[in-house]
Amino acid sequence: MRLVSDEEHSAARAFLVSGMVWMAIGTTFGLIGGIALAAPDAIRNVPWLVFGRVRPVHVNLVAVGFVPMVLIGAGLYLVPTLLRTRLYGERLAHVGIWLYNAALAIGAIELARGHTQAREYAELTWIPDVLIVGAFVALIISFGGTLARRQEPLLYVSVWYFGAALAVTAALYPLGNAMWNPSTGAVTGVLDAILLWFYGHNVVGLLLTPLALCAAYYLVPAITRAPLYSHTLSMIGFWSLLGFYTHIGGHHLLQAPIPVWLKVISVIDSVMMMIPVLVVLVNLWLTARGRFGDLFASVPGKFVLLGTINYLIVGVQGPLQSLPAVQRVTHFTQWTIAHAHLAVLGFTGMIALGALYYALPRVTGKLVWSERLANTQFWFVFLSVTAFMLVLTGAGLAQGHAWINGETVYRTVPMLSPYMMVRALFGVMLVLAAYLGLYNVLMTIYRGKPVAVEAAEGSVRKPATA
Amino acid sequence: MRMTPALVLVGSVVIFTASVFAVIVVPWQTMAHQPSAAWRELSADELAGRKLYIANGCTYCHSQFVRTQDWDLGMERISQPGDYLGLSPHLLGTTRTGPDLAQQGGEHPDDWHVAHLVSPRFTRPQSLMPRFEFLGQENIRLLIAYLQGMGGRDADQRVQRQQEWKARAVAAYNAGADENVKWLHDNVPEGWRPLPTPYPATEPSLQRGAKVYQDFCIGCHGPVGDGQGPAAPYLNPPPLNFTTLRRNLVDGKYIGGILYYQIMNGITGTAMPYFKHELESAKIWDVSNFIAANFIGFDDSNTEPAGIDASYEPLRTQKPASGRWRDHGKGDAP
Repeated sequence: MRLVSDEEHSAARAFLVSGMVWMAIGTTFGLIGGIALAAPDAIRNVPWLVFGRVRPVHVNLVAVGFVPMVLIGAGLYLVPTLLRTRLYGERLAHVGIWLYNAALAIGAIELARGHTQAREYAELTWIPDVLIVGAFVALIISFGGTLARRQEPLLYVSVWYFGAALAVTAALYPLGNAMWNPSTGAVTGVLDAILLWFYGHNVVGLLLTPLALCAAYYLVPAITRAPLYSHTLSMIGFWSLLGFYTHIGGHHLLQAPIPVWLKVISVIDSVMMMIPVLVVLVNLWLTARGRFGDLFASVPGKFVLLGTINYLIVGVQGPLQSLPAVQRVTHFTQWTIAHAHLAVLGFTGMIALGALYYALPRVTGKLVWSERLANTQFWFVFLSVTAFMLVLTGAGLAQGHAWINGETVYRTVPMLSPYMMVRALFGVMLVLAAYLGLYNVLMTIYRGKPVAVEAAEGSVRKPATA
Repeated sequence: MRMTPALVLVGSVVIFTASVFAVIVVPWQTMAHQPSAAWRELSADELAGRKLYIANGCTYCHSQFVRTQDWDLGMERISQPGDYLGLSPHLLGTTRTGPDLAQQGGEHPDDWHVAHLVSPRFTRPQSLMPRFEFLGQENIRLLIAYLQGMGGRDADQRVQRQQEWKARAVAAYNAGADENVKWLHDNVPEGWRPLPTPYPATEPSLQRGAKVYQDFCIGCHGPVGDGQGPAAPYLNPPPLNFTTLRRNLVDGKYIGGILYYQIMNGITGTAMPYFKHELESAKIWDVSNFIAANFIGFDDSNTEPAGIDASYEPLRTQKPASGRWRDHGKGDAP
């Protein structure tokens, strides 16, 4: 594999492989952090492995690395396919991948060394920030050129989501990281919290979610061989996502000293988020109506199906937990950690893995090396994210109710212990899943059997556009 | 509606820009940027400590704002926007795995923090915080400077009180074991001194007390109550050796009231924190019984004046001349 190849699909392939590498490294750091919470003296006095440094490495490698990179990799295959052209600027997309990888590598090392902006989801320092914005600019040019050279006049919904995710992220990222302040990457005072949570929640809402929906809108019709249920619903889902998601960051600060009207907006729009979630799911599930068996019969399909089910759970939970009466208990607790894992891993992460296994044979021309390994990975990911959700939600409720009952934080620390141990155990399972996936991808590329030509063409059938 | 590239692009950008205006620019322009009464500039040391706090991700487990519903913390003040003026980045936090630190300044003296940062379990046996010994002495000093500034001017008053009482506590300790105990006793309000523990030191009470002792006290006072817990080498004055209380009973027969008061209120200036937020009354009496029975070798529990026995208490046995409840631990009626 040359560094900057012009071979068709080579950029998509590079994004997929890179994403899986970051999944392996990112979940490993997650496990180290999980172990620290279960057994704080297991690793002692190793500065770069202290929990407070491991955690941002984990969060950034999975939420900025693994999930979006795999989804962009899949998108770089899906979007040109939908537009009936090949990707414009394959080399430019390769430049994007190297900028992106360099940003994550430098960023992770910087975080481990204690160089951080200390703002959740925006920890990466200025140089990685610049590299990431550069990567997105490269991808936007590549996407724009593909769009301009398209043979297909109609834009399928996946294309909207892909384009919007790239365009909005290119604007959101410099703003949220306050890149005009290179030394801090922040503004000052409470405003910094407002800006950060505008950004932090939009990373999920305007980058991960649209990229995941781009893949889901392609995979569900393609795997079930059914036309998309409704063009109108796709539009409602798309525009309402943009309209509501952008206002909800304030629900992280409901008990913080920010203006009350901002809290009101954030709660109302959080509740309104039910609309884009439910509309998209109704659209996808009615598309697959009567053919859920087809989805579950294929590895990409089952990942996507479970991803959409998790989207329902996380998309109903989110609005509910933005309500002040609920947050009174759940705020500041492990409940929020459960929600974040369900959103990033359970929803977008699972769809990313589905998109990976769908796109992989098509961008490598080789059959997935081991279906059985891929299935094992599915069950490991599914079980571990479900366990994270249940265990951390339980821990969060226990903490929150204890505090409301007047217990001090110190008295609630020991009761976290059993939850943290179970979470660390399932963390081992997830890390195994990540390495199995990476192994499978590498073996597919280097040892996979070639896809028969007819089969390949048959299976890249474009899903019906509206 | 036909979704053209122009529509998707322009629509997304317009919505995004409008949102930025509504939820970022408007608050930016309309919020009052006034300091609160407690706000003050951070010193150079405090800023250096803040950098260490940032570098080591303390913010992922420690929040820095007191919410309206935080009555569990017993805080005297809800956080205000003016508390955070000029701080960049903000460190409000989103998870409270450890305690909130918005008003940490002056809660403990510096030496408590040193022991706590070297190993959190030295001072707080059930903590799950990582050790920060690797920071080294100088960085630990800077980090503590930052912690002691949390709460602004309010914190400064508390820190000053810690320092004043530390000078007296150290002087008392240096005067010798018995002088030290006398000083400690003299600083307990008169009414609390000739007061026996009102609850009997039954076996279940002692077991409950042992649990409280292990969860809260053992790191400083040690497993045998001699003040030689793992935190002791870092603390000045060092933790009390309970056995020195045996020859310093109040009126030759009382110690329960003193134990209760000191556990409840702590001894400001020393590493002994107050526990009234964390331990209910019965738990403080139980651990007092445990300390008295095991480390002092004398307990005054359930002696007169004891008032009307609480309904759960076992019937009292006759008090022997020695002043000890010979059957303490059994709780059986004669």
